[in-house]
Amino acid sequence: MQDKLMAELMPPDSRRCNYFFLYDGSKVQGEGDPTSGGICYFYPEQTPLDQQELLCSQFAGVGRCVSELSSSPVQTLRLRRNKFAIRMKDDFLWALGCSVDVPTVSVCELLDQLINLFCFYNGSVRQSYQLNSQETLAARWARYLSYLQSGSSEMCHIFSCLKTIDSTNVDPLLLLKAALILQACQRCPLVLAGCILFRGRVVSTQMSPELTMKVMVHESETYTKGQRLNGPSTSSSFGGAVSSTTVFLTMSELQYLQSAPVDKDSSSHSTPSKNVPPKKTRLSRTLSDTPSTESEPSYPSSSQSPQKTSFSPHLSESDNSVCSPTASQSTADSLNLSLLSLRPPLSNGKHPHEAEEDVLEESYYHSFHNGGDGGSQIHSEGDSSVFEENSHVNGDGDAAGGTVFDFRGTDSGNEQSHDDKMNQGRKAEMKDPSHLSGAFGNLAESPLVGMTLYMHRVKGLVLALLVEPHFLSDAASMEEVYHSSLASLNGLEAHLRTISSGAPGAPGPYVFAHFDCIQSTLTTNLSGRPGGAPEHPFVRATSLLHSHFCNTETLQEAIIRSAGAAVYGTRSVAQETYFQQHGGSLRNSGIPNHQDSAFSLPSKARHRLLKHGVNLL
Amino acid sequence: MKCLLIASESAEVLFHWTDLEFQQTIQEQYGASQEEGQGLPAFEDMISTQFAPIIISCSTIVDRQSDSYTSFTTENNHIYVLHQFDECLYIAVNGDGEEKEDDLRRKIYVMKKMIEVLFGMVTLSGTLLKRELRPQDTEQRARLWKHLQSLLETYSHLQENDQSFLVEAVERLIHPTLCEQCIEFLEHRLVQQLNSSVERAGEEVLHAFILVHTKLLAFYSSRNASTLATSDLLALIIMAQNMYPSNVDQDDPSPEDVESTSGSGPESFYTPEPSPTDRDSSDSEKPVRGSPPLFEFVDPDIQMAEDSLHTLVVSPPDPSAPRRVFLEVSLKDGLYPMMPHSMYCLPLWPGISLVLLTKIPTSAVAMSVYKFLEAFDKLEKRLNEGQSPAAAKGQLTMHDIRGKLDKFIKALGPSEIQSVHLQNVWTDFKNRAFTRGRHGFTEDLIPSCKAMKTQLCGVYRQCFFTDSGSADTPRRLSPALQERAQTMAQDKLINWKDFLLVKSKRNITMVSYLEDFPGLIHFICVDRSTGQMIAPSLSITERTTSELGKGPVAQYIKSKVWGLVSTTRRYLQKGYSTVTLRDGDFYFCYFLWFENETGYKLEAGDIPTLPDDSAPIGMLAWDYYRKLLRYYSKNHQGEAVKCYELLTIHLAVIPTDIILQHCRQLATKLWEPSRNPLL
Repeated sequence: MQDKLMAELMPPDSRRCNYFFLYDGSKVQGEGDPTSGGICYFYPEQTPLDQQELLCSQFAGVGRCVSELSSSPVQTLRLRRNKFAIRMKDDFLWALGCSVDVPTVSVCELLDQLINLFCFYNGSVRQSYQLNSQETLAARWARYLSYLQSGSSEMCHIFSCLKTIDSTNVDPLLLLKAALILQACQRCPLVLAGCILFRGRVVSTQMSPELTMKVMVHESETYTKGQRLNGPSTSSSFGGAVSSTTVFLTMSELQYLQSAPVDKDSSSHSTPSKNVPPKKTRLSRTLSDTPSTESEPSYPSSSQSPQKTSFSPHLSESDNSVCSPTASQSTADSLNLSLLSLRPPLSNGKHPHEAEEDVLEESYYHSFHNGGDGGSQIHSEGDSSVFEENSHVNGDGDAAGGTVFDFRGTDSGNEQSHDDKMNQGRKAEMKDPSHLSGAFGNLAESPLVGMTLYMHRVKGLVLALLVEPHFLSDAASMEEVYHSSLASLNGLEAHLRTISSGAPGAPGPYVFAHFDCIQSTLTTNLSGRPGGAPEHPFVRATSLLHSHFCNTETLQEAIIRSAGAAVYGTRSVAQETYFQQHGGSLRNSGIPNHQDSAFSLPSKARHRLLKHGVNLL
Repeated sequence: MKCLLIASESAEVLFHWTDLEFQQTIQEQYGASQEEGQGLPAFEDMISTQFAPIIISCSTIVDRQSDSYTSFTTENNHIYVLHQFDECLYIAVNGDGEEKEDDLRRKIYVMKKMIEVLFGMVTLSGTLLKRELRPQDTEQRARLWKHLQSLLETYSHLQENDQSFLVEAVERLIHPTLCEQCIEFLEHRLVQQLNSSVERAGEEVLHAFILVHTKLLAFYSSRNASTLATSDLLALIIMAQNMYPSNVDQDDPSPEDVESTSGSGPESFYTPEPSPTDRDSSDSEKPVRGSPPLFEFVDPDIQMAEDSLHTLVVSPPDPSAPRRVFLEVSLKDGLYPMMPHSMYCLPLWPGISLVLLTKIPTSAVAMSVYKFLEAFDKLEKRLNEGQSPAAAKGQLTMHDIRGKLDKFIKALGPSEIQSVHLQNVWTDFKNRAFTRGRHGFTEDLIPSCKAMKTQLCGVYRQCFFTDSGSADTPRRLSPALQERAQTMAQDKLINWKDFLLVKSKRNITMVSYLEDFPGLIHFICVDRSTGQMIAPSLSITERTTSELGKGPVAQYIKSKVWGLVSTTRRYLQKGYSTVTLRDGDFYFCYFLWFENETGYKLEAGDIPTLPDDSAPIGMLAWDYYRKLLRYYSKNHQGEAVKCYELLTIHLAVIPTDIILQHCRQLATKLWEPSRNPLL
């Protein structure tokens, strides 16, 4: 029944995920605790509450039992009609359910992506839920989920690939130019790494595919916003083209960014060295090797210079996960005031994101002021009214929110009232301020480190940079990065705009898909239509072969043939390629025959794919 | 770290099997969760406590989501596979990486198959089966579970080591002249003599075969016997192996071997045990008619169990007593599953046994019961679907059934308590269904249908599980007759004995193929229409060296073969009948094709795509290939279609062209009409 309901709401093709929920087991420990109290977010939101409760409670129960029996958290849970990737951590349980046709590896990848996205923009999950209302965060989960599902074809469901511009249509010089822009930005030591995006597609990136994907979510948001408002919306010294937001990197991500060979000394932040020689490597990952602790002294200033940011929540405005509630409070206060005073009056064209930031900051504010003497007791009795209020504000914002939130429908289905009957032990735990900092890094293995995502938009083109938080307060650095790249970005944008987004790879007498595992990019001549026919034999075969390649390290190539189609798949460390020849005579008896066309697929693939830039030799 | 558990919906353990490691884990966890100072309870209670949340969640999901769990995995790669058959939930667990999800699902299905072979149509009534699997008497329970456990272990051992159980097809010993002689012996001397003897007590030998380890030396079916399904034959081989384990792997006897050797010789004979009284049957004497429908279904059932206590006598194990097995019989008028047979497994020498399958005198009753069960089942389905009395067709057959069932009950005789119950329920059914002015064939009749089915299963149980007539005349081939058969076979084979034992280990060898097929490492060829396979022996014990050498290399190749079979099954499940893989230093090929009887290769057809949690592909637990052939034959009416499979492993350095040529040659030559493979 639920499936039917969903099928009506969404075109079946674009649905990648059937269910997603986050359940907080710590809220449902006593006998009398209602299950609904533990449901942090449930997608699809219009799912009847009793069904939400059923899935949450059953999965949590089974998950705990199996985890105990095997002394290890549950990873996947399959039903006849849906398969779920499960993550269990700190009493939280995430479940993401897809159709059983999607390879299990892909479902698990999608869930990891989603959780990582959330942490990237919000920091630790536990802390986010302590600082923000459930409704605010629900809107974010929804947004991230919708981004991950948006417009991707069935092929992208299998490979979790980055959307890139079609490099075969683009003058390589433009790609070089983009890379040079990024390298130029890195001359500023506060800039860690960056990427250039055009209309939601990657032109050039210095970051890992995972990190690039995370950055793109924010870009897509500001892009839709910018389109709707028809121009810059916030006042800043850079004409509104520049925005920034706080993001959180895992230690390993940070180390990876900083691990690139860097030949410059750790220069002082206030005086960025201008004599850094341009990097000669193509994809330079050179970064400031500034130890993040050093930036600590400068961070209070970031809240004092909000004129350079359109908005910045600075929720956990700290570098090393030091998040003392009082410090945050003062930051939030001043930020709140300054932002409110700076912002133009909000019309009904209010951006969803901004509206949400309001909510976010309000709830943040309220939660601390209503929290009583402890100052850190977030989910107190008094909160529920605030949260309800928020849900209204949030609901309005969503209604005006346009495309991003359309799929949720107007009726926000999860107005769970806050669970007042909080477990006593939990309360006691919460009162301990040290708990906050402890919880901070619990989700990811390593603590999360606050950084800033800086974005400079020139129409459809965006320069996104990961920068040290105090970059925003460093006027000189900002000026330098802004002005040094402005002209080049304009030029690049003008060029890219003229390139027709023609049908990728004229459909020949064959279909292929080429996946670059290192860069997470997919090249295919399969019709780019979103959700390109999942029943397509090529997609089905690719999905099976991809799973097989993932599970068998030694497997190099495979040919599989059903009555209708023969598909060839081959892989190396860096790539996976799939090929199917159309037409020809597949008429055969299925008995081994070396003249059979299926067995000539490897040589055909080698030959045909050369012109797509795929070298299988 | 392995476990297989059968539980009822109320989380009652109906059967469990665990390896030592899993058992220890459960004990540790249970100990940890218990208050200290208490002694550990029975393992059965521990495992039921530990699994209870999963089992209960399963029924919740079925009830409320009308979906069911099929599997869980954990981060440390433990796998749980779940499958519900009617009222029994099967859970198989692996935590040591030796089994994949498919293996666990196969194990579950095989377990179910073995239970069907042992309990026949009793499995069609959830209530009866639950009671059968979990006798109240702890000693009986222990004995039954031990028997099932050792069957499961025997199967697992064969599945892991024997190629014929890997691909689930029977392997014949390749020695045409001897085979022919033996078949002649079975036909003209053995079976004829047995069936003409007065000592056979009404039993009739239908099938006779000689096993050398797991391989078939000769197989003879009498003229009026239906063909023995491959699925049943494989199950019987497992049972025979369980009774008389062969020591093929003398060098490294697995723990299972040791256990089954000591635990289940011929002396520890399993006879289905009666079910003693039910604890909560206090209100069972309530008159059936007045109570609401739900109780009507339950009542006669409980009553039956109680009554049967008085009639059943626990007889001491008897080595000459046959095993009751329930096998499929196909007659002109249709397919009858789970028909009672007696199985006599006569050991000739260690590793060589003679197996006789007889038809028992009362088997006609089983056929009637099955027809009635089928009729009531159909009726129930129709009523469930809301097809009301308007379905006149249904009524007609029911009127038909009415007469037949009346006669059937009369023939059963009133002396049997079970038939009295059947009579009562049937009278009630007739009152409801056929009396004018009553509701007739409406939904109200569904509980009565269920009650009828349960009673019929009860009659079946009464007839074939309890040797009711045993007090006076044991219905079986007399011990003397069995002994004579054994001696005859021994005399016949005495000179061949040692040869056969060696031959079974090296049935065909790769050496004979090396010259014609350079680079070929191994192959398996299966004729799915007859359920037979050919493969070079893959002996990997220390003592017997195969062409693959011994120790790690042979072990490695073996693991590749096993992996290849499971991989190709996965592709076949998704509709791919040809697969070639370049994997490390090897090149694997798999082909499935169809031929007509004259050997003409037929056009490859569409192969149905099955869901991941469908029954495992094979012939033992669920005959996938029979379904496939039926599906394919739709487009080849009036033509006998045969289905073949070929798996090969080559060195990867061999050019693909040559590899494919090899495959083609193997495919054409191996099953030449002469039936005489390349030797």
